Amino acid sequence: MSWLVLRTFALLVGGAALGLLINVAHPHGVRLASYKPATSCVQTTTAQAEATPAPIDVLSPTQVANLCADPRALVVDARTAEEFAEGHVAGAIHLPCASSRGEASAALDLMTGKEILVVYGNQTGDAQPVAEELRSRGGRPDVRYAVLEGGFGAWNRSGFACSSGPCPDCQGTLKP
Amino acid sequence: MSMTARVGAIVTGLLRAGLGGLLAIAGLLKLREPSVFATEIANYQLLPGIAPYLAATLPTTEILLGVGLVIFPTRWRRPAAAGALVFFLTFLIAVSSAVLRHINISCGCFGAGGEAVSPLTLGRNLSLVASAALLLYLDRPRIIPVGRPVGRPVG
Repeated sequence: MSWLVLRTFALLVGGAALGLLINVAHPHGVRLASYKPATSCVQTTTAQAEATPAPIDVLSPTQVANLCADPRALVVDARTAEEFAEGHVAGAIHLPCASSRGEASAALDLMTGKEILVVYGNQTGDAQPVAEELRSRGGRPDVRYAVLEGGFGAWNRSGFACSSGPCPDCQGTLKP
Repeated sequence: MSMTARVGAIVTGLLRAGLGGLLAIAGLLKLREPSVFATEIANYQLLPGIAPYLAATLPTTEILLGVGLVIFPTRWRRPAAAGALVFFLTFLIAVSSAVLRHINISCGCFGAGGEAVSPLTLGRNLSLVASAALLLYLDRPRIIPVGRPVGRPVG
């Protein structure tokens, strides 16, 4: 039995070592030390950020999907609680247009450490007021604000990551 | 060779070829775009910190195990089957966690742009675990029975 374990271990370690070697030579190899999940961020310089408020970009579902695994990104659902419960972008927080000041403040607290905030509604335009409100009250010129092009419908049609059904773990409306 | 042994040998050969080919092809597809594969691993939100290391090492290990199952010398085939079982169990845990958490992400099973993780993916992984376990069982070392002494007893 021990030879089986040893040889299995040797195969696994050998394959891993081979992979690390190939990765170094691979033209599209992953950067091990400085790896960050792919994003479609466009960084604004500090001078630009101070001079003018950050524009609200319109991102396609594919661009937003690339942000899903990025810990610097926060996705906000601006639709109703019922629509949120039926299905939403995985990991999104719920912050409808009719949110109270307390809820909006709590959302701003969640922005700590975030660099990209993506708001979506049923259509592109639904998310715009929420994004503008968060931008004006956030006091974070370094944060990039964006809305999802086509809203949740476009996201769903593209077949990207969604959570659906009720959210039993949610307390209030903000936690993802 | 008895009928049972013959059927066992055929099943073992088919499992080896099937699982070996599947592992080798899946590994080759993942090896094309390690960066994209790293993103897909990170999307599972299990161990995002080691996603780049897994993306760099998993494809070649899969290829090695696949090749090992099919063309390696006999004494390395069973370890390759055990390694395949470890792999499929790991994938099963990852896919199960995504399904249980209702995270709708790309499977990443065959490189970039794969299908979304679903109960179907879970079922496929379960069948792969079962196949690798069956191969490991069928390919186990046999104890050769000692035959009766040849010739008539003296006296």
